[in-house]
Amino acid sequence: MSRSVALRYRTLFLALLFAVGLGGMVAADEKEAVSFQDIEESLTCQCGCGLTVHSCNHLQCGSALPLRDEIREQMSQGKDKLAILAHFSEKYGEKILSAPTTTGFNLIAWVTPFLLVALGGVVVAFTLMRWRAATKPAAAPSLEVAGHAGPKSQHEQTLERDLKNFDA
Amino acid sequence: MLDVGPIALAIAWVLAIYAIVMSLVGALRQQRDFITSAEHAALAVWGLTVIAVADLLLALVTHDFNIEYVAHYSSSTLPLNYTVAALWGGQAGSLLFWLLILTSMTAIVVMQNRYKNRELMPYVNATLMLTALFFLSMLLFVTPPFERLAFTPGEGQDLNPLLQNYWMTIHPPALYTGFVGCSIPFAFGMAALATGRLDDVWIRTTRRWTLLAWFFLSLGNLFGAEWAYRVLGWGGYWAWDPVENAAFMPWLTCTAFLHSVMIQEKKNMLKVWNMVLVILTFLLTIFGTFLTRSGVISSVHSFTQSGLGPFFIGFLGIMATMAIGLLVWRLPQLKSENELDSILSREATFLLNNLILVGIAFAVFWGTIFPVISEAVRGIKITVGPPFFNRVNAPLGLILLFLTGVGPVIAWRRASASSLKRSFLWPTVLGVGGGFAMILAGIGHYYAVLSFSICIFVGATIAAEFYRGVRARQAMIGENVFAALAHLMGKNRRRYGGYVVHIGIVMMYLAITGTSAFRVEQLNTVSPGESFDVGNYKLRYDKVEAWENEHAAHMAANIAVLKDGKQIDTLKPEKRFYKKPEQPTTEVAIRSTFGTDLYLVLGSYDDATKKATIQAYINPLVGFLGWGGIVLAIGTFITIWPARTPHPAAAYAPSRGERMASE
Repeated sequence: MSRSVALRYRTLFLALLFAVGLGGMVAADEKEAVSFQDIEESLTCQCGCGLTVHSCNHLQCGSALPLRDEIREQMSQGKDKLAILAHFSEKYGEKILSAPTTTGFNLIAWVTPFLLVALGGVVVAFTLMRWRAATKPAAAPSLEVAGHAGPKSQHEQTLERDLKNFDA
Repeated sequence: MLDVGPIALAIAWVLAIYAIVMSLVGALRQQRDFITSAEHAALAVWGLTVIAVADLLLALVTHDFNIEYVAHYSSSTLPLNYTVAALWGGQAGSLLFWLLILTSMTAIVVMQNRYKNRELMPYVNATLMLTALFFLSMLLFVTPPFERLAFTPGEGQDLNPLLQNYWMTIHPPALYTGFVGCSIPFAFGMAALATGRLDDVWIRTTRRWTLLAWFFLSLGNLFGAEWAYRVLGWGGYWAWDPVENAAFMPWLTCTAFLHSVMIQEKKNMLKVWNMVLVILTFLLTIFGTFLTRSGVISSVHSFTQSGLGPFFIGFLGIMATMAIGLLVWRLPQLKSENELDSILSREATFLLNNLILVGIAFAVFWGTIFPVISEAVRGIKITVGPPFFNRVNAPLGLILLFLTGVGPVIAWRRASASSLKRSFLWPTVLGVGGGFAMILAGIGHYYAVLSFSICIFVGATIAAEFYRGVRARQAMIGENVFAALAHLMGKNRRRYGGYVVHIGIVMMYLAITGTSAFRVEQLNTVSPGESFDVGNYKLRYDKVEAWENEHAAHMAANIAVLKDGKQIDTLKPEKRFYKKPEQPTTEVAIRSTFGTDLYLVLGSYDDATKKATIQAYINPLVGFLGWGGIVLAIGTFITIWPARTPHPAAAYAPSRGERMASE
């Protein structure tokens, strides 16, 4: 396997790892303990406010108040979060859930952004490698931005040069 | 009575067409007098728009209820500031206001470029006038603001009570200025593509315009968040409403553009990508307006919904086709000589920053339109709300925050191991150490710990940059700290202004993290004299006061705020019941201490039992959102402030002598 091919595989692997890592961070939230507020935030108020049941503060809201009672009733039956949300989804339709489910067609909603960022990461990585390959070994020194690169006078020179170069 | 406004708009419509035709013909035939005439027409369009706006304002202020718009969005008792704000409180007025900003900016661009960028200007003018023509057409044929009623009502219906708020008087103007500001770099980009002048002239010429547009987009979003926080009364400031998303998306792509454009300026790379970003940003501003006006996706911004959606989609299609067509046509000439010395460089970091910013913009776009896709594919309505956006964007947002610390500090071309160590060792130690300290202190919210740690890291990298710069000046010139800091920033406004903006962004992350992870809430129904605890406070409900004026009936709960047994404040959360239109609103009561808010909402009141339901929130660090905004504004001003030395773009402008010679 040539060095460049190995590098590409490594990049691909890192990009996938990145995507899986992000997905894991998202999935981690699912494991949180069920709470009344958690369920409230998982349901959308149907009064037209566009907020979750938790956030709706309309006076005597005809949607949020009965839904809160129903959440309490469901929790009192000892159901877990998924079972309670399934109950609401079945009764009122999927639109009551404040986020798409993570199954079937709705999975596309969750996966696509990360997939696209991961693919973008691969494209960026390949682009950078292509540019790197097209660049002759630079004779020019790097433009250090700032810092104490060595003796004080050298740092001062670097800073002076940078101040001139950076913001013409 | 002579209707000046509609006549002015009609003449402006004709002149906008004239300006487009003359600009393009003048450019193609190289007829300078045609181009100049088109620019004069653009100035006239601006003047006529000013007349139309003045006419509508006069009608609002003098309560000419024979005009439907005035009757619908104002009343004789509406305070003057809200009467003026009614200009953008309704559909037609807001389009007229948009046109005013657009034509004003066009006029400034025309005046600025009388003697420079002459090759680009006809196409710039044509693009801006095409946009103006669209808005003029809407105002003349679809939603006319000067439509008269067959009778004159004795009183107006008044402005939506939710809009009768200070923040709503400044949120739309700021956002519109940001949206419209994005048209200027877009117009120059189109001109660069049309003429084939694909060097960085158009970018250097529009740098301040882009910054200005970005600045106002930032302010518009922040003002909107502040309005939601104070008016909607649900304890938060951002609900991922489709219209909020619509304003956020162009901000993200504009931010990406501001960063990637530096690579083109510095290394003449990413020419195609920068064009893509400037096109995308402009199209997203139109898409955002489409979302607000169409009602295609349900939103809290329903007060501006109408049947304008298809027109906006049509305009979006035309502009997208034109822009993408030009881009594809010029692709061969846009190829850059790309060079990269090392992956560990600012170029690579900025690319990653662009990937994440565009990734977040896509995630927001995707979540916003997914209900429409679901309904089209499955025939089932679904909701994509805050849980989706928070989960998807939180990890991407943290990566972006990390890059905020790395990007501006890492060297161009190649960062050596020693420079990486020098720049990032102590910030990393501080960030990681801070994270461990938080965990040891019992903070179990891992997202929050990660976010705060990265905030420390970024803050430390920026602080170290200032420290090193000041120390170097002190050593070289012998200035005191303040003089060294002032001169350091004064001589490198763009760089240090950028650092200040990043500090503002870090402060906003603190607010977002604090309120997301550590918000405390209490909902209590209490009788007079009863108390309940929230956070470190004890709240005692004393009584409800009620009063009425010509606008609304007011009901305010008197809540004594106690800490350590002592009363330290009295807060009065309020419910208002507006008379025209009949609508209840929430007026929250807030006590701010070191960035943390005690936020009270009067939920309900039972007159028979005198019991009140009080929703109490502790919103930790929320004040940093506003303070971050102020710091961001200061940073932008530092960056945007003209330098004493001539601007590099001037080098591309022909001198007066050269111009005369060429003529």
